[in-house]
Amino acid sequence: MTYTISPLPHVKSKESVKSVMWGTVAALIPITVAAIYLFGLPALTIVLATVTTAVVTEIVIYKAASQPITISDGNAVLIGLLLALIMPPSVPIWVPIIGAAFAIAIPKYIFGGTGTLVFHPALIGFAFLLAAWPTLMGTGSTPNLGSFSDLLIETGAGRLVEASPALVLLGGAFVLYKRYVDRRVALSATILLLLLMPIVGMGSQLPYVLTGGYFLGLIFLAADPVTSPVTKKGRLIYGTMLVLLILIQLHFDTYFAGMCFAVLLMNVFSPFIDKNTIPKPIGGK
Amino acid sequence: MKIVTIKTPDQVIIPLQQHDGAVCDSLVSVGDIVSVGQLIGDGEFRIHSSVSGEVTAVSELPHPTGKDVLSVVIKTHNGEKREIEPVELSAGKIRRIIRDAGIIEPNGHPTLRTKEDIDTIVVNGTNTWDLSSYEALMLDHPSEVIYGLKALMETVGATKAFIVIELGSEALHVMRTETIPDNNIKVIATQGYYPPGTENTLSKKFAKKKVPRGSTPEDRGVLVSSIAAMKAIYDALCDGEPMIKKVVTVAGAVGSPRDVLVDIGTPIGYMIKECGGCSGTPVKLIVNGAISGAAQYSDEVPVIKTTTGLLVQTESDIEREPQAPCINCAWCVDECPIGLMPHLLYGYADSAQFDKCAELHIGDCVECGRCAYVCPSKLPIVQIIKYGKHGVAVMEESE
Repeated sequence: MTYTISPLPHVKSKESVKSVMWGTVAALIPITVAAIYLFGLPALTIVLATVTTAVVTEIVIYKAASQPITISDGNAVLIGLLLALIMPPSVPIWVPIIGAAFAIAIPKYIFGGTGTLVFHPALIGFAFLLAAWPTLMGTGSTPNLGSFSDLLIETGAGRLVEASPALVLLGGAFVLYKRYVDRRVALSATILLLLLMPIVGMGSQLPYVLTGGYFLGLIFLAADPVTSPVTKKGRLIYGTMLVLLILIQLHFDTYFAGMCFAVLLMNVFSPFIDKNTIPKPIGGK
Repeated sequence: MKIVTIKTPDQVIIPLQQHDGAVCDSLVSVGDIVSVGQLIGDGEFRIHSSVSGEVTAVSELPHPTGKDVLSVVIKTHNGEKREIEPVELSAGKIRRIIRDAGIIEPNGHPTLRTKEDIDTIVVNGTNTWDLSSYEALMLDHPSEVIYGLKALMETVGATKAFIVIELGSEALHVMRTETIPDNNIKVIATQGYYPPGTENTLSKKFAKKKVPRGSTPEDRGVLVSSIAAMKAIYDALCDGEPMIKKVVTVAGAVGSPRDVLVDIGTPIGYMIKECGGCSGTPVKLIVNGAISGAAQYSDEVPVIKTTTGLLVQTESDIEREPQAPCINCAWCVDECPIGLMPHLLYGYADSAQFDKCAELHIGDCVECGRCAYVCPSKLPIVQIIKYGKHGVAVMEESE
């Protein structure tokens, strides 16, 4: 009788990179459906075009580089979907297509693929499009939480994701519960932002951050596992610094793009924070 | 009664190394007749025969750690009853009796190690996954466990003791009832994860004594022990029985999974047979738990003093998920009971940057396997950390 030997552990948790990525995609489905309901066909076209482009670009690039194609891990779909959700519905369809191709080719592939990224690819794609075609990327309206019904369906939504703050929070609660995104970053940043704004006298701008865009940014984009710090202390520092940056940009402008740049800027600090907050093991001096 | 006694096998294999340290000298040779409880190995530590019979071999045989270790093979004589020596108790004597009984913790350390002044005893009663032997011991023998603990407290001069039990365990209520008359023994419910080797964590969390690197909890006046050792102390004091039996959890693909009382030296194959045999074709035999345990290449491997469980896995139980790159999810960092950075250690060890590994204190890792369990990328973190430890040792030697 022969037996198999292997290093420990001999059982492993059911969660895998695949389940993390696809789970996050699933958490974004309700808000995607709400956006399509609110904006109709343009929203559907943007989502389909962006996701398809992201997937096709990844296949083409990895094939050309003769690297194993990892479409099934869901990362490309997630990047495409996140990028689609932060588009305004009025944008010409070729803009998000270019953005998705760029997001996969430069910030993902050039920086080494899943796991080694410095910046969040969807945000880099967004920043690139904003710099290249600022007028096309402009939104028709700015969401402003006026009544309770706006939490469910925000009629003043300027971007796909702003269609329903409640549904973004619903997806957010799911990924936080499953730990698909980091809890410390998402919770500390969201709570701190909502607490600090009235304190520093920006309470009147609060309705502008109680929108799907900000919830998506704080939960799904800022707390993304790859680009946020790893150490426990580091994640709290990251969340706090992020909120300070958002407050600074809110002081000048209530524009969603400001938050994206705050997250991108924090992505730069992330390795630095990690390096300086390595914990002392038990018994360490 | 939860614990089922398994009858003595025809032949036992008693390795002469059942603890952290050097192999003991064999006191017997082929052809000798030994009786239950007779000392057969001495040196750094004491090893006793668990059966009466004839020594048929003294040779290197498979050991649960994966190496071959000098072992004594004894063919059992049937029908021979062991004689219980009455023991007279006095404080000085208890210490000697406990020492002579060869009581060893699941992590390979002797229960009584130093002569330091101890004021607190922390008893680990947590079980994880497939292991339930501590719970079974507490449910079946609560008063014996407390007796052992009190004797140990008296011996070392401890003024208080904590029994750490998993939240939701049945044993919690039993032990709380049992310790009502004692103000200095406290039962604590916890959700933590304390595999063998995390003595410093237990000491810090429950006795509130931080243990600096390079020293042991004993240096800070804390003795970390386990439920199994408490029962062994009771057996040694009240029955005059050295550590020759062990409660082991048999789990997984066997006919009737349960906690069994076996003689040290019983081959694991025999134990499986006594538990109703394998259901399905066994592919992996794991000693000491699904997460921290070691897979065996032979079912001839015996139960030793540090054995707490045996898990039988069939092909369908085995995970063969492909690896993916690390995504910095930090689950391993959150999970590490020691507070290390497993994903960094993995990366540095994998790329042979052993100086970086040493900087991040790779030597503190207790190899509990928790990081590799949660890893969504399915990376063999512990295996690579072990390689890193070896690399650090080689690097330090050459300096």
